[in-house]
Amino acid sequence: MKRILIVDDAATVRMYHRNILESAGFVVEEAVNGLEAIEKALQTPFDLYLVDINMPKLDGFGFLRELRSEAIPQAPAIMVSTESEANDQLSAYKAGANVYLIKPVKPVQLLTHAHLLLGEAR
Amino acid sequence: MALIKSKPVASAVEALEEKPSCASLLVQLSDENPEVRRWAARDMLHCEDACEALILRLKIEPELSVREVILTALIHLKSPHSIAGLVDCLRSEDASLRNEALEAMKQLPDLVAPIMVDLLNDQDPDVRIFSVNILESLRHPDVETWLIDVVQKDPHINVCATALDLLSEVGSESALDAIVSIKERFAGEPYIQFAADLAFKRIRES
Amino acid sequence: MSRTALRKSDEITISEEDFNKFREFFYRKTGISFEPSKRYFVDKRLIDRVIATDSENFRSYFIMLRFQASGEELQFLTNAMTVNETYFMREEDQFTCLVDSILPEVMKRKVATGNRLIRIWSIPSSSGEEPYSIAMCLLERWAGIYDWDIEIISSDIDTGILHKAKIGRYSERSIQKLPKAWLNKYFRRIGEEYQIDDDLRGAVEFTRVNLAEPADTRPYRNFDVIFCRNLLIYFDDVSRKTAAECFYDALNPGGFICLGHSESMSRISALFKPRKFPEAVVYQRPLEAR
Repeated sequence: MKRILIVDDAATVRMYHRNILESAGFVVEEAVNGLEAIEKALQTPFDLYLVDINMPKLDGFGFLRELRSEAIPQAPAIMVSTESEANDQLSAYKAGANVYLIKPVKPVQLLTHAHLLLGEAR
Repeated sequence: MALIKSKPVASAVEALEEKPSCASLLVQLSDENPEVRRWAARDMLHCEDACEALILRLKIEPELSVREVILTALIHLKSPHSIAGLVDCLRSEDASLRNEALEAMKQLPDLVAPIMVDLLNDQDPDVRIFSVNILESLRHPDVETWLIDVVQKDPHINVCATALDLLSEVGSESALDAIVSIKERFAGEPYIQFAADLAFKRIRES
Repeated sequence: MSRTALRKSDEITISEEDFNKFREFFYRKTGISFEPSKRYFVDKRLIDRVIATDSENFRSYFIMLRFQASGEELQFLTNAMTVNETYFMREEDQFTCLVDSILPEVMKRKVATGNRLIRIWSIPSSSGEEPYSIAMCLLERWAGIYDWDIEIISSDIDTGILHKAKIGRYSERSIQKLPKAWLNKYFRRIGEEYQIDDDLRGAVEFTRVNLAEPADTRPYRNFDVIFCRNLLIYFDDVSRKTAAECFYDALNPGGFICLGHSESMSRISALFKPRKFPEAVVYQRPLEAR
């Protein structure tokens, strides 16, 4: 079973994403910021990361930097954000996000991308 | 036994010369060595105009360790002069600086309260989201009223979503009407339906 | 319990949503997460605190808890929710980590510089079980003890407890997890208690420090390892931040810091890099950092 880590400082958002992903049979864990996400990923790596941008201590870009520096085993990452300007998208891809979604995310959007990204991984 | 009794701690460190003057601390705040900058920021607490100097440096400081010490110094100073500068940082292109400034503002509730209404009405929806975020740790009799106001009037879905999230935790029966109406306003948005239902349940069943 | 208190505890209830609200808040603040199975444990302590603070009900207690400027009630509550016993070899994995993983890295880095002194800071010392445990582990399990010098400094804000630590006399309860051989080697029995011998006592320097006070912590530099276990969890946000920044400057670049098992830097500071070793997750001041 594929394991997904939801990284967001808002409890409601984590709960919402969790419900969507669990209903599709994924195993889900949570982290409140990029730092906690690294700690959890070091313990047991995940198959997919769902990462918010604005978080205390270590934001989404900071987390992606760590992920792509191979401190943690590689896995695809969906970045979610409230920002909608074009250059934030670009920054997200440059930082190593596979997909960039604008909040609030609809269930079918999230599941489609999750399935696509996890299907691509061996 | 190779466990040695340490020399007294004080002598293990270079002798502390007499406290540097504020003028030299100001210079040290821009030193090329981050460690020097950190200690300058810590030692500036007793200097006049420390606030302005710290804010100016914060905006251009590349090292996280120095920014963090600067922010701690600003939190300890509790000066109204720092708030405008911190609000500027909320608008920064740099995500780290935005989030660090936000965390610092959460530690300065007395300074933030007077400008809260302005922040909640800022032109930039991202600043409004941060402002709602600040309410999370703000002790003020109007917090719930402000949140209800946001939920009822803010045009931006994510600002409303952030307010809803907080209402789940601190809302009372007075918020219920606003929660019902936001469900209608964003009828096609599953996240808003979810967050509103949660807030309703949390308020109702507590 | 008085009849009034008894009656009151019957009246106070924690609903499912109350529990969820509290759980999220507590997790956000401390990183400690409660399984639904811990309902009874959590409810009981919450109700105790509701009564102790003369709060009308859980709701008003929660509002007070959330917004209290001093953070005192959160500290009380955290205390109530966590186990704070001190004893020798507590959270032993981290001592194993020190000997098997941390020190080898430290030595490797230092050997090039010719500096053969390794400095360890244990704070809070409490009654001394931690620094003495570290000393014994180094003497008994660390091969490097023959070629390297070690300095152990241990600090606390409370001079009373420091005094106890310097004396080094302990109860049966405290020594339970010590290997028998170590007990025989480093302690002598005095009545019902155990006295650490002078050599070991002499191996630790005890000092008084208030971690929230930069004037106190300023001279603490050039440490290779810091143990700060089960202390920061009881601090408010600003004090935690100040402490983390103090530790940053107290450590050499590449130095390590160990927090308690249930603690995490994720609620405290992004200045340190998490490092996973086979025995434990610890934190490191980045090597390149100045």
